[in-house]
Amino acid sequence: MPVFQWLESTALAIWVGESLWGYPIMLGTHAVGLAIVVGIFVMLDLRMLGVIRGISFHAFLSLFRLAWIGFLFNAISGSALFTSQASTFVESTPFLIKISAVLAGVILGVIIQQRVRLRVADWDSDDANIESSATFLAIASLICWIGAIIAGRLIAYL
Amino acid sequence: MTETIVRAIEGGPINTWVLSTYWLWPLLEILHFIGLSLLLGSMLVVDLRLAGYLRQIDIKSTHRLVPWAAAGFTMNLISGVLFFFGDPARYSINIGFQIKMILVLLAGLNVLVFSWKINPHLDKWDPHGDSTMLAKSVAWVSLITWSGVLLLGRLIPYIGTG
Repeated sequence: MPVFQWLESTALAIWVGESLWGYPIMLGTHAVGLAIVVGIFVMLDLRMLGVIRGISFHAFLSLFRLAWIGFLFNAISGSALFTSQASTFVESTPFLIKISAVLAGVILGVIIQQRVRLRVADWDSDDANIESSATFLAIASLICWIGAIIAGRLIAYL
Repeated sequence: MTETIVRAIEGGPINTWVLSTYWLWPLLEILHFIGLSLLLGSMLVVDLRLAGYLRQIDIKSTHRLVPWAAAGFTMNLISGVLFFFGDPARYSINIGFQIKMILVLLAGLNVLVFSWKINPHLDKWDPHGDSTMLAKSVAWVSLITWSGVLLLGRLIPYIGTG
């Protein structure tokens, strides 16, 4: 499609694709952002599932901003990387799966964040009972983030 | 020294296995990325709290995340050793890889400083208070070395391969 070919001809795409440092800088940023956003959400998911105990849900309230900063890093670096080979990426099945998984992960992240804010007092109390709908959100979130990593790595192979 | 290591590995059973199993390399990469998320994600929380930020979090409770960092590190140690065995000639001469390994070593020494000099006294700290200068330094060394490990790792294919 012409729009993707046009993207590949933009100054940003050419800097990312052809300059000495453009691609490595974006790829490096993408890995750091990945560790931040996936790391924090996986910890929270495992906490919601009861796999991790002893750290309060209250503690996670201050980590959401950090997680979203990590995501912002990746949205920016990911968009820059995308422009450099836009028409190849839109035809790559693993890429499309990855983007869908990321999008679903972000939507679930927003829902989980709201749920934690709403339920933090109950979940941190001694007789905490995490409802099954929250368990479902945590499992779905884990699947999305791990799925995004798997599909992302496979872009280079399939 | 690198030549001796490369000669000892190349053609050996692990080298042959890694190279001849076509799905292994992508699988190892996936494991390496999941491992780095666990390691960096949990260390970020532990270190930022140790550096005196996020004080609403009980400092002792952040250490519940350490086993997950250790699990991530173990995953990456195993997958990383297999990467090295798969292509020893390329990794051993790569300056990005060499600096990365030095940073991993520094990060490991930093963990020792933490467990000898800081961890034993943690019980006496105010759970939501500020940290000592030494604790802050350890936290920043950890943040910087692990981020460096991650960045250099990602850059191995792009720098110093000659």
